[in-house]
Amino acid sequence: MQNRKPKNSPFRGLDIQRHSFLSDKDCRLIHEGSCQLLEEVGIGVTHAGAVKLFEKEGATKQNGRMFIPRMIVERSIQQTEKNIVLKALDSTNNLGIEGKNSRVHYGTGGQALYVLDYKDGAFEKKAAVTQDLIDIVRICENLENVDFITRPVEPNVQDEDMDLTKTRIFLENTSKHINLANLIQIEKLPEIISMVQNKELISFIACVLVSPLSMAESTTEKFIRFIQEDIPVAISSCPQAGTTAPLSEVGELMQVNAEVLSALTLANLVRPGAKILYRGIPITSNLHTNVSPRWCQPDSIRRIAIISDMTHFYGIPCCGTAGVSDEKEPNPQAIAEKTLSWIFETASGAQFINSALGMLEQVLTVCPEQYIIDDMVIGRIKQLFLKSPDYNLRDIARTGVEEALSMFGVQMDSAMKEEVSSRINFIFSGQEEYSADHVQAQADLIKKAIISGKSSNVFLKTSRSGLRRGWLYSGKRFEGRLELEDLHLLKTEILDSYGN
Amino acid sequence: MDKLLDDIKNNLIAGRVDRQDEGPDGTMEGQPGMRELVQEAIEMGVPPSTIMAQCLNPGMEEVGRLYENGEYLTPDMLAAAESVNTAMTLLEPLLLENNITNNGKFVMATVEGDLHDIGKNIVVTLLRGSGYDIQDLGTSVQADQIVSAIKESQANFLGLSALLTSTMGKMKEVIDKLKEENLREKVKVFIGGAPLTEEYARKIGADFFCEDAFDALNKLNSLKKKK
Ligand code: B12
Repeated sequence: MQNRKPKNSPFRGLDIQRHSFLSDKDCRLIHEGSCQLLEEVGIGVTHAGAVKLFEKEGATKQNGRMFIPRMIVERSIQQTEKNIVLKALDSTNNLGIEGKNSRVHYGTGGQALYVLDYKDGAFEKKAAVTQDLIDIVRICENLENVDFITRPVEPNVQDEDMDLTKTRIFLENTSKHINLANLIQIEKLPEIISMVQNKELISFIACVLVSPLSMAESTTEKFIRFIQEDIPVAISSCPQAGTTAPLSEVGELMQVNAEVLSALTLANLVRPGAKILYRGIPITSNLHTNVSPRWCQPDSIRRIAIISDMTHFYGIPCCGTAGVSDEKEPNPQAIAEKTLSWIFETASGAQFINSALGMLEQVLTVCPEQYIIDDMVIGRIKQLFLKSPDYNLRDIARTGVEEALSMFGVQMDSAMKEEVSSRINFIFSGQEEYSADHVQAQADLIKKAIISGKSSNVFLKTSRSGLRRGWLYSGKRFEGRLELEDLHLLKTEILDSYGN
Repeated sequence: MDKLLDDIKNNLIAGRVDRQDEGPDGTMEGQPGMRELVQEAIEMGVPPSTIMAQCLNPGMEEVGRLYENGEYLTPDMLAAAESVNTAMTLLEPLLLENNITNNGKFVMATVEGDLHDIGKNIVVTLLRGSGYDIQDLGTSVQADQIVSAIKESQANFLGLSALLTSTMGKMKEVIDKLKEENLREKVKVFIGGAPLTEEYARKIGADFFCEDAFDALNKLNSLKKKK
């Protein structure tokens, strides 16, 4: 067991030396590109209150798009709260999220539709229900490496009861920080605040953005209400390269950054000094097959890690994303891809890593046994980082995958080792240059796509040349059989201790 | 003229719509695309049946072959579908004169409260390229709007998409409204989206649940055969 709290710190978390993929100069280029997008392409805004706030500060609206002067954006970056304390019922579980530091925390994610039940050596998929929420919160309460809990699934009760039911389940079952993520009915916020008594115990995630470059009206309303209450919110934008964003890494980063900055600006217009976690999730679309999102392939892992370079550049707290496997069930491929994703996201210094445990099938499914697997592997990864403060990231990545698989009875053969190296190489080596010309070409592509306004999939066609240049990784799978019986017993033991 | 017909076929294979299209490897911007070439052919008096027989059908066969053997990926397939659709839209008035009709009319929408449309848009592109006339109502569309669109266009198919557990119930609302308006028997209802299942389709009285766009196409093809 590693320390819950680092020495001399009032907080949980893993303190590491961060690894950056981009230089400050690269970050500035992306920033400049994003500001250009906000000034010249604008962001689609329909929420009347938001329109008013933007216009009052000198932004202008035309054809439904808000053109935001760079000055307001940069002022908002300055104003945003840089250090946030996320409290927990048990104060030893408090988290200190500091934009310039790289103290890393891991938590769960949501809102999965399905849960896998383990029965007689096989997994059965079923729609998630209230008891699953209770079980998962209880399991996570008992897992050493879960620092905070994001609501993994919603309770299956009437809409009017959903928000209060889930809050009650959290309060009754966890002493860790509660990330409620979303509210189904924002009118319930005052009741929730009085239920938790101390609003510092909770935080939210708002998916304000619909890529490319527009804000969803109903989520904007929720977002504004959270900010008014001074409750920390992660601004989430999740474009998919090849459909709702350019396939290019540079293009997608510039777009996602513009998207998050637009909402961050709004937040500071509502309340200067807003408590924001920056959550850009620049994933890719699986253009090799059915265009489903790719969360855990080398291209997505690299892009998501690079986002932390941007948040450190701004000094704003980062809500990271890692460990969302694209696999439908726990298997060696899931463990290998999750492990790579945790390692690179940890190294990136993302302070609040969401979705890190339990998730499968591109966020559609969670699995109780998977939470336990993930906790064990994250524990091992932390040890690898702690062993040598001046670590070699390539070595950690290679060793990490090997050890993670062997923990569950899978020994890597030479073909698997080669595949690990090939994935690691892809993550390290950018396929594109960070130059003013390339940034401008991508800005033009985004502008053209938005003007054409065809559909949300405007980038599908222009993705073809990048696809041919190898911008999406394609490799082999990790096959084998996991030994899971012990995990299943562990899960039963945890749940039985609650008198199930 | 042979060169023109060849160019049309090759543009289909390249999945190009018009002059602005960069093509599969990003190098073709500026060259005339499907729109310009088919326009030219029509002006020259080339019969639409010739364009279909000598360009579109063999072109689509070639795209299918390239897709099967892995040289082409999904965006290439969808680009080709868009290219064919461009040609068909231009040819449609002439085909109608010769009593050749499309495969049927679709109304397509993501249901009220739901903004997810990446999947729906893929279905729209693929079906358009397969000869269906599609009116895409967009996202978060109310049941009333969907039903009146069906009434107006006399569509024979309805496609509904939902990705949220909180919005999938809206599909039943649409189907119930269709019943109220005595339209239910006139349209086949296709539904799709991550939280849906075959069983759910049965429960709400939809005709088909589709895993993905190709599944929808297969189901439509088997309907056509039954006719
Ligand atoms: C992309 C995405 C978004 C984007 C949408 C962008 C867009 N323009 O569509 C954004 C970021 C805006 C978004 C917002 C939200 N999302 Co969302 N999103 C997704 C995500 C990651 C991918 C969906 C996708 O595009 N898949 C790729 C396409 C190609 O696949 P597909 O949609 O399934 O479509 C295929 C088939 O299903 C089928 N099909 C689909 N429709 C139809 C229709 C017909 C007629 C036919 C024949 C076939 C068919 O064919 C398609 C092509 O093959 C999913 C998770 C997932 N893995 O599915 C979550 C997910 C659906 N979202 C979710 C949630 C919760 C939300 C939000 C509520 C988040 C929030 N807290 O605010 C908001 C809701 C906004 C709203 N009011 O709709 C949840 C739903 C959970 C639940 N219990 O309902 C999911 C499962 C993620 C999660 N685990 O949290 N989301």
